[in-house]
Amino acid sequence: MLAVAALLALCAGCSRSNSVSEGGAPQAALPPNQLIERLPLGDLAGAAPNLAANHIPNPYAGNAAAITAGKALFSQMNCVSCHAYDATGGMGPDLTDSFWRYGGAPAQVYASIFDGRPKGMPAWGKLLTSEEIWKIVAYLQTLGGTVPASFASRALQGDEPHEVNALNSMKGAQSEDYP
Amino acid sequence: MTKRKQAGWTEVVGPRRTLPAALAVLLVLGACSREEEQGPPVRTAAAEQVHAPGGATANLAPNTPAGEWAMQGRDYANTRYSPLDQIDARNVDSLQVAWTFSDGVLHGHEGQPLVVNNTMYLVTPYPDIAYALDLSKPGHPIKWTFKPNPAPVAIGKACCDVVIRGWAYDDGKLIYNLLDDHVVAVDAGTGKELWRTKMDDVENGGTMTMSPLVVNGKVYVGNSGGEMGVEGWLAALDENTGKELWRAYSVGPDSMVRIGDDFHPFYRWMQGKDLGVSTWPKDAWKHGAGAPWGWVTYDPETNTIFYGTSNTGPWNAAQRPGLNLWTSTVFARDADTGMAKWAYAMTPHNEWDYDAVNENILVTLPIDGKLRKVVVQFNRNGFAYTIDRQTGQVLVAAPFGHENWSTGVDLKTGLPRVVKEKETVPPGKWVRDICPADIGVKDWQPAGFSPRTGLFYVPVQNICMDYLGREVSYIAGTPYWGAEMERHVGPGGQFGALIAWDASTGKRVWSIPEKFLVYSGVLVTGSDLVFYGTVDGWFRAADARTGKVLWSKKLGSGIISPPMTYLGPDGRQYVAVIAGVGGGAMVTASQPDFPPRGGTLYVFSVGGEVERPSPTTPTAPVTSGPQSQNPTTTNKGKH
Repeated sequence: MLAVAALLALCAGCSRSNSVSEGGAPQAALPPNQLIERLPLGDLAGAAPNLAANHIPNPYAGNAAAITAGKALFSQMNCVSCHAYDATGGMGPDLTDSFWRYGGAPAQVYASIFDGRPKGMPAWGKLLTSEEIWKIVAYLQTLGGTVPASFASRALQGDEPHEVNALNSMKGAQSEDYP
Repeated sequence: MTKRKQAGWTEVVGPRRTLPAALAVLLVLGACSREEEQGPPVRTAAAEQVHAPGGATANLAPNTPAGEWAMQGRDYANTRYSPLDQIDARNVDSLQVAWTFSDGVLHGHEGQPLVVNNTMYLVTPYPDIAYALDLSKPGHPIKWTFKPNPAPVAIGKACCDVVIRGWAYDDGKLIYNLLDDHVVAVDAGTGKELWRTKMDDVENGGTMTMSPLVVNGKVYVGNSGGEMGVEGWLAALDENTGKELWRAYSVGPDSMVRIGDDFHPFYRWMQGKDLGVSTWPKDAWKHGAGAPWGWVTYDPETNTIFYGTSNTGPWNAAQRPGLNLWTSTVFARDADTGMAKWAYAMTPHNEWDYDAVNENILVTLPIDGKLRKVVVQFNRNGFAYTIDRQTGQVLVAAPFGHENWSTGVDLKTGLPRVVKEKETVPPGKWVRDICPADIGVKDWQPAGFSPRTGLFYVPVQNICMDYLGREVSYIAGTPYWGAEMERHVGPGGQFGALIAWDASTGKRVWSIPEKFLVYSGVLVTGSDLVFYGTVDGWFRAADARTGKVLWSKKLGSGIISPPMTYLGPDGRQYVAVIAGVGGGAMVTASQPDFPPRGGTLYVFSVGGEVERPSPTTPTAPVTSGPQSQNPTTTNKGKH
């Protein structure tokens, strides 16, 4: 709360634009936050495929206006200070590589921003709207390090797409969660 | 009262090698005042007052027994001078690893071991685990382990790795700061927590990384967070209870800064009421930083503590026109009350992140024919300041490495002459090749002083930056930074050096260039050896008078912690250093041959020999009591 008040006070005169209206309309309805909150952080006991994140795409993915707004937010919210202006990391992790401690699919990145993470990532769910968080995710998706939604559960196992393709062709079968 | 094993050490001299090379060194040293050769000298706890030619000296209070090392700087003056001299120019080339200890943590290791009463005390970087190693038993077993379990949220608030820069032993207690803004005191005999004091809310972005200094029952600690928009503060705690006695802020009105009638800064622009408010735009001081995350030193003659404050927040100076007092400033304060005596801002309206937190070494030097009691600080901004300890007047200010942001310090006004092309305001445009880079010509890694040579031994960085100021908003718990940077090596292409410095004249005496940063502190000994390490893992000993490298050993990781030396229970001299690269040294991590991380203590002796029982000491029994049967007892923190 204190943080919000301080931000509003200090930002009154600075250049934070109303990025929500600038970001364009989403391609689809926003996934409800309750769906995000149910995303498991770990693998599922019983070795069941963890498919929860596979079916939540970013409604702003590829939306140029949203990506521009997300990039602006990435700077205005001081994300750049920990993750660097080019998002290659500093105090916080590199967001352009393929290593994602808490999952690199769009919904998982959303969850990390919304909820925060225990090693210093603050939770932004109270300060930013869902639209704003999805736009930041849309920007990060353009940097090449994220994981396609459909590959979320495989990525948790450390797999890369070409490995799964090879494995599937050897088995002569398609993965249930990766077309 | 401090319970320590009485010194009165009898030096046990091992067989000395007399190689031709060693003889040559001996000839070079012929002119120096060495009284060697006849039998082993007897050491006593009382410090001999040592003077260099010309009268340069230092007060080595509290005169820790020669074989021990109880606080990071070894003495209140922070000389890092040890009188031990068994290891000398003749035998240093036969130094070998005697034993090692891995603490299991792979973050940057910036603190150094302490040795008191035949026990070595180590504290890891986050999670700040303390170990006591029993030096009197074969294999140096763990006497106790203390796990304070600091909050993981602190990891993301620390700007420059989750380091700890040191810990202090006093009166049977090991006292240190946790990254999550608590100070903890542990019983040095048992590893049980005695008290833990919360100093700040880590959620707001502040952390604690510095080494406390403990003097006369008071523990001096300060915060870190110059990149997080904190208000910097230094506090004194009661050593026995952990209760906070006073807190002096670096920004804000005089009441917060503990400025009163006894405050007499030397220069006029620092005189006036509430300058910690009026030298800022409205309310900007509230996130102006000035965190004293470096070192505290103490002058027993005047009961004064000295320390420096960090960079100004945010880095983007366009958001805070004004002198921005009291950031980037050295304070002299009454050790009992915390009231300021004088202050001197080295880099007012700091546009380059040049913190003033580096150690303030207290020495007596001949200057213009008179012996002066001075403070010497090697500032990040590239100038070495020799300052009158009583008045705060700058006597000498000279560049001790490569800098190009200033053409010098005007000794009449105390102000630096700033080079216009290197100013970083207005923001929004790249300013190229500012030297030094943010981490300075020297960072926090402490220099040393030898009262035998009268010289300072200083780790030096040769690093520059391209800088782009950016507008930034304050959001609590996130960085309040406002700059983009690209760093590069300075002229000549060598990142580091160790230099010897004459602070009476402001002149470099010798220099050992290094390909990598020299980001360790130094150790200087009574046999005129200087020990230091490099970021690529070379541990070296050099002749303190000539700068000739006499011995080098490559360790398992980069060295960013100061070496120390002690006498074992066998009367033998050991040199110890931790190899564990990290911290600010990571700004050069893309350099080819940059080493992997580590967390290993290396202990060296002549020939690698260890624990040969002294003829006068009976061999200690291998097992005794419950502690040795349960050497990994841990104590969970209180919360």
